[in-house]
Amino acid sequence: MHETAIVQGLIRILEQQAAQHEVSAICKVNVKVGRLRAVEPRQLIACFEIYAEGTVAQGAELAIVALPVRACCKACLCEFEVPRFHFECPGCGGGDVDVIQGQELYIESFEVVGG
Amino acid sequence: MCKDCGCSITGAHRYVPHHEHRQTIEVLEDLLHENDRQADHNRAHFDAHGVLAINIMSAPGSGKTSLLEATIRALPNGVRMAVIEGDLETENDANRIRRHGVPAVQITTGMACHLDAHMVHEALHQLPLEGIDILFIENVGNLVCPANFDVGQHLDVILLSVTEGDDKPAKYPVMVRAADQMLITKMDLLPYIEEFSTSRARDEAKAIQADLPVIELSAKTGDGIAAWISWLLLNVSSRREIQDLTA
Repeated sequence: MHETAIVQGLIRILEQQAAQHEVSAICKVNVKVGRLRAVEPRQLIACFEIYAEGTVAQGAELAIVALPVRACCKACLCEFEVPRFHFECPGCGGGDVDVIQGQELYIESFEVVGG
Repeated sequence: MCKDCGCSITGAHRYVPHHEHRQTIEVLEDLLHENDRQADHNRAHFDAHGVLAINIMSAPGSGKTSLLEATIRALPNGVRMAVIEGDLETENDANRIRRHGVPAVQITTGMACHLDAHMVHEALHQLPLEGIDILFIENVGNLVCPANFDVGQHLDVILLSVTEGDDKPAKYPVMVRAADQMLITKMDLLPYIEEFSTSRARDEAKAIQADLPVIELSAKTGDGIAAWISWLLLNVSSRREIQDLTA
């Protein structure tokens, strides 16, 4: 259940940001999670609902964009989506690759009702 | 006209219930930012003392503490080690290490399934790093969560014991991908576990990380420990070189 630690980090960021922007209620939070982070979106949402209670993010929707793992082959520079964690280049069969997507775990933005 | 979005709903229409003006505030901050900052601080602390920090990860009961005991016995004189032990409960593992005269600090995480950088930092206050060459951080037995939390280590080692089954690398790919070294442990039990194929375990790990080095060993008989010690010593000296270059 490392999702709880991640959600605590998220709430901390939201509280700081809300204070900074003088926001009293947040209605939506947009985060990006790469598939290499072993984070389960449904668990993240369930934890968020619990931890957001009594904070500026209470009742806010947590929108998660899950990013597939992508890699670039060091030998032939082919870029490809990594299927089921098999890091093999479809171009040349090489396994020496750089991960270019899939390690993300960040908040992109949050939305507030205003105007 | 509305000043926020330019729509034409004004005046009395302002309170149409479906019309919400949402404002988006961009943030772009890593959710584990605080942990990662603390981890960098820990690493700077290790570097200042010339300590190589190694994070040891595996399922519960794969033989992490036994490996460390075998390491204590096999390390050449002059190479000194210390251990930070992470468990949900008990001081058992730290006591096992201390019996060999090696400094050890036990972290009990309560219900947390992994060590984080703050816990390790607190443990460092109880552990004098002067004269230490290698600090082993034995993470909580768990093949998922610890891979997500940088604790300030330089290298990650994953253990897979033959009793767990050779399909574990494929089942827990994130940790295998994060590893710098994989150890297949309890090799003395291999004759009794015919389902386990070391080549299958190696192939599965290779599919996830092609150049991941693998050592087969038994902490009980000592087979393969020499290769593990060589890997450690190689990394101790390359860390010292990096240290000298940046000093």
